[in-house]
Amino acid sequence: MLVISNLIKRYGRDEPVLKGLDLAVEDNSVVAIVGASGAGKSTMLRCINRLVEPTSGSIKLNGTELVTLRHRELRRARRKIGMVFQGFNLIDRLTVMENVLAGRLGYVNLFQAITRRYPAADIERAFVLMERVGIAHYANKRADELSGGERQRVGVVRALMQEPEVLLADEPTASLDPRTSEQIMVLLQSLASELSLPVLINIHNVAQARTYTDRIVGLRHGTMIFDGAPSDFDKDALEAIYGGIEAPEDEAAPPPEEVRDGQA
Amino acid sequence: MARPDNEESPGTPRTWRKPPFIANPLVRYGLLVVLAAYLVWAFGSLPFNWERISEGLPRAARIFGGGFPPTLSRFDLLLTGFTESLQIAILATLLGVLLSVPFAVMAARNIAPLPIYLLGRAVIIISRSFHPVIVAILFVAAVGFGPLAGILTLTLYSIGFVGKLLAEEIEEIDWGQVEAMRSTGAGYLATLYYAVFPQILPRQVGLSMYQLDSNLRASAVVGIVGAGGIGSTLMNAFGRYDYDFAFAILLVIIAVILASEGVSGWVRKKIW
Repeated sequence: MLVISNLIKRYGRDEPVLKGLDLAVEDNSVVAIVGASGAGKSTMLRCINRLVEPTSGSIKLNGTELVTLRHRELRRARRKIGMVFQGFNLIDRLTVMENVLAGRLGYVNLFQAITRRYPAADIERAFVLMERVGIAHYANKRADELSGGERQRVGVVRALMQEPEVLLADEPTASLDPRTSEQIMVLLQSLASELSLPVLINIHNVAQARTYTDRIVGLRHGTMIFDGAPSDFDKDALEAIYGGIEAPEDEAAPPPEEVRDGQA
Repeated sequence: MARPDNEESPGTPRTWRKPPFIANPLVRYGLLVVLAAYLVWAFGSLPFNWERISEGLPRAARIFGGGFPPTLSRFDLLLTGFTESLQIAILATLLGVLLSVPFAVMAARNIAPLPIYLLGRAVIIISRSFHPVIVAILFVAAVGFGPLAGILTLTLYSIGFVGKLLAEEIEEIDWGQVEAMRSTGAGYLATLYYAVFPQILPRQVGLSMYQLDSNLRASAVVGIVGAGGIGSTLMNAFGRYDYDFAFAILLVIIAVILASEGVSGWVRKKIW
């Protein structure tokens, strides 16, 4: 269970990017966060694992306050927060297996990390998860030799290696073609229920958000203006979130039964 | 941009020219004028003594003449000198390249806190601010004639050069990989080993090869001021008016540099 309350983030002296956000996410639910570029989606996600420092407010993961953690406690907390990135952020020059095992870096010591002497249980878990998403045969390939969809699977497996209590996905499909991005959405959705994880997905593609998630949260200018079931996400909500903002046409109202190309 | 132009004269074909490198015409032509003025002043005021130059030319011809044909009569001397130079260059490169990594990390603004960054930059700037010959003179004074002075000199030289370029490389890495490692809960050093080092590895290998080249060349120069190696042999040959042997040494130096350049180019291509 992840509870965000009155979260504010301000860069320098500018207008805050997040203006007092409140959000509670139950275990086992997939939440889509939609909003135009600059609405604060990415900042919100990064505040949760403190890649971005919140200005004020509170974020609690299963009762642990994340905002005040420092150094060792912060790293311990980050182990429980898996993150999947838009650009995959794999270590290109390392093998797929090394990338996957990197998800355990918060658990092993420096010597184990440098010499790649990971515990046998970690290696077993890595193989199980890679088989689950169909990339086990790439274990010894270099990460930059894989296709986009395969690389994002590596990214997802790396996050799952952390044994996370929450999974954050920052536009995980925006760098992928439509077909592959659907596969990744299906994967995230089914993993959430298999592992009973709360999953927060920043997403530009409203159609995919409606199809693959249980709940949609709409942000505009750092404020939450929609929170409800995908079925309630209608034209008015769409207009409220994207309306009057330049160039929203790519995402505007694709027919819900057929997923159209979500242009990155 | 071209539109208003087009509306004024719809019939004529539109033209385009590359924008000048320096946009302001005053600055552009001003710089040319300043350059011309400098050249006139420099040539007018530097003392070129044409008489002495014309006297010196026959002497130069004599030295060159004495150098031909080059002779390898003292091959053993040449060999000892070169072995020592090679040892100096390789040891200094190894030490310098290894030590340049921590200093480069310290001197990269994106991963080092400000005080550490300033310290790292200071070390690199100081080791870069003197030419190896000057550093060699200092070290020869400090530790005496011989290869140790050469090794210390070239190590410092390598730290400065490799450290600076490596720090710049670190500042340009893909930050996403660092974010990804941080978000797994990895500590600072683990993040460094996983997210930073793989990204700078090809560059580091290339720089090391280049530095080996450069140290080979420099080891000949620092030898001249007494820091051991082929430079000392060369200096002695000149001192004894053994021009034919000195020329042989120069030719071998060229050959060795060419060979090392070829090898380093090949290795750099392989590692990429």
